[in-house]
Amino acid sequence: MKIAVCIKQVVTREWQLRVNDSKTWIRDQDASFELNEPDAYALEEALRLKEKHSGEVVVCSAGPARASSVLREALARGADRAIHVEADALASADAFAVADALAAALRDEKFDLVLTGLQSDDQGFGQVGVVLAEKLGMPHATIIMEVKAEEGGLRVKRELEGGWFQWMTLPLPALLTIQSGINQLRYATLKGIMAAKKKEIRKVTPSAAASPAQKMLAIHFPEKGKKTQMLPGSPAEAAKALVQKLREDARVIQ
Amino acid sequence: MNGPPADRETLEVDVLIVGGGPAGMSAALRLAQLQKEKGGEQLSIAVLEKSREPGAHMLSGAVLDPSALKDLIPDFKEKGAPLASEVHHDHIYFLTKNSKFPFPITPPPLRNHGNYIISVNRFVKWMAGLVEAEGIDLFSGFPASELLYDGARVVGVRTRDQGIDKHGAKKSTFEPGVDIRANVTILCDGVRGNLTKALVRRLALDEGRLPQIYALGIKELWEVPKDRIAAGTVIHTMGYPLRMEEFGGCFLYAMPDGLVSVGLVSGLDYRDPMFDPHIAFQHAKQHPLMESMLRGGQMVRYGAKALPEGGWHTIPRVYADGVLIAGDAGGFLNSMRLKGLHLAMRTGMLAAETAFDATRANDTSSAQLRKYEDRINNSDVRRELYSVRNVHQSFSYGLLPGLMYSGLSLVTGGWWVRDPMPVKAGYEHMAKLADYYGDNRPDVDVAVRPAKIDRKLTFDKLTNVHFSGTRHAEDQPSHLIVHDTDICRTRCREEYGNPCTRFCPANVYEMVDAGDGTKKLQINASNCVHCKTCDIMDPYQVIDWVPPEGGGGPQYEGM
Repeated sequence: MKIAVCIKQVVTREWQLRVNDSKTWIRDQDASFELNEPDAYALEEALRLKEKHSGEVVVCSAGPARASSVLREALARGADRAIHVEADALASADAFAVADALAAALRDEKFDLVLTGLQSDDQGFGQVGVVLAEKLGMPHATIIMEVKAEEGGLRVKRELEGGWFQWMTLPLPALLTIQSGINQLRYATLKGIMAAKKKEIRKVTPSAAASPAQKMLAIHFPEKGKKTQMLPGSPAEAAKALVQKLREDARVIQ
Repeated sequence: MNGPPADRETLEVDVLIVGGGPAGMSAALRLAQLQKEKGGEQLSIAVLEKSREPGAHMLSGAVLDPSALKDLIPDFKEKGAPLASEVHHDHIYFLTKNSKFPFPITPPPLRNHGNYIISVNRFVKWMAGLVEAEGIDLFSGFPASELLYDGARVVGVRTRDQGIDKHGAKKSTFEPGVDIRANVTILCDGVRGNLTKALVRRLALDEGRLPQIYALGIKELWEVPKDRIAAGTVIHTMGYPLRMEEFGGCFLYAMPDGLVSVGLVSGLDYRDPMFDPHIAFQHAKQHPLMESMLRGGQMVRYGAKALPEGGWHTIPRVYADGVLIAGDAGGFLNSMRLKGLHLAMRTGMLAAETAFDATRANDTSSAQLRKYEDRINNSDVRRELYSVRNVHQSFSYGLLPGLMYSGLSLVTGGWWVRDPMPVKAGYEHMAKLADYYGDNRPDVDVAVRPAKIDRKLTFDKLTNVHFSGTRHAEDQPSHLIVHDTDICRTRCREEYGNPCTRFCPANVYEMVDAGDGTKKLQINASNCVHCKTCDIMDPYQVIDWVPPEGGGGPQYEGM
């Protein structure tokens, strides 16, 4: 099975975010980055499928130069080779532009299966996978919790709301977006890191990149809701005003 | 905890460097240079680093004396060394609670012209790039858990097993540690390094040396209005918030774009068991001098790390069969100049030269590796450290005697009537509550000198830890091993009032209700910022810091 895994480099969850001067994205100059968590599970699932059914795992990332570190990490964990669609603008591009860049890099390779994480820890649209499937002309299934290869296709388990699951079958080639927790991630090994040095990272420049369909207008931190209001007057008057506020404004009493 | 040897992989290298800080990176680069200069069979070199990515556990002020950098990487500017700012202004003040008194002259050791203010995190990351460009294997996220011996000879290290749950059982993802065998192992595992600590004890390398004295540095990175402090400004203070009996002081270094490093270094040889370095740091920031610099700014990072301040007489024997010790692990830090980066780099380079010759001569015995000590003795390292050999020791007699001696040592070249000046280990200075407070025993669960926390200028420990970017895999055994937790609830509570709850700057140690009216110890290991203070300062010496699962720990981006 020839499997592609699309991975993204995101700011670490522990990073204390700061908004940039134009208030359209975070300040990422001195931030610390890591592999997007659901993508790590997608990679692990691909490696397990390869171990079971043999084949090849190719990791692909669309992002600025720094994204090569997550590709190297994926190679150390066992991916066979990597494709880096490199452009600075891809760091905060929308799902449409990212999927377009990935599709151009993947199309000619004729993968049997394409895996992505369910969503990214930064923008979290959860759209790159489905748009990519559309651009590659493949069927897709989202929020996948289990993957079984069957004669001529796949049987997959989707997570629904309220603790429900759904089993469905797809023909190959197909694209799946993988939910975190589908498997247990393996540790990187010294041998893996050494082997990764000899593996190829092919750099691709996006040709005519799709113009973004969306524009980030502004981002901001959640506003803190804590507001203190002093109620003037005698204790009796203040208590009356307080009850009125609790009933009419806060609506916590009838 | 370790599996049978059968499922363990082995990796063989010529030179293994444990610890990817300034010392380790310098050693690796120097080895690569020697290889190019002298040719011959290609040496295999590996660097092990416990942090997830290079530089992530690096914490220092930091002001860099570029002497070693100039020798190691003469074209450091062309290679894009991230030096934030050259030092332009030096200030030193003595602080009282509300006032400041400038020193009439800046003492020569604290003159910083020609030095650079840097982020040691960025600096080491830059060095890591150079190391990898030389084709050296740099393994980040792999702590070394123990030394491998053949008799008294060090033959390498074992990396930590990965994938053990908190009860000590193997998880399905269990990955046994790897034995890395090397002709020479260079230990650059930093202040109170876990391997160096074990080695020094096993081979009694500290025989005839004074006990090391440590300090704890607590630091925050701030972003303040850009025009407030000129980049290149260096401020050091003594006095408040520390008292005459406590060694240390504050620093404030201004970098471009309104970035400011601010911190407090306090000696881990204080007497008062109720002393809390983190609270003292909050008091420091509330002093008008600091407050006027930070007001309206934003704290962006937090971290803490111990420093070896004992100086020349506390440096252990730094060589043995198959092994060398460099950098903070060996105690190469000049506490008079408040600098260790250049000495870490220099000793890393000298260790590399010794290891290279020894490997080429096919003799890595103690007798051959002793040349490392000769190299140190003939270098600036000794010239610099010997003349200030009694400085921190003198401060253990109090601030005024310390200042008087430090001034005198500039004239006498460090001589003292009793040389080396006698000193106890830092933790032995801590007084029992009864001896320090007499009949006025304080409530040990409440700060004696609390600081007002506003979460703008001052922070509680938990908020601060959040800003250190610290993360550990939750399901793993505690990497802080308290050998006797009974002492905590009985003797220690009575005698010292559980000082670990105060000297730990990351809220790792907490005394919680045991349910029977008494208190018991709770270890919040995932808060740990790897500063090593507990291992150093615990009055009963029952705490062992061992490395957690690879990649765990703080993320000191920009620090």
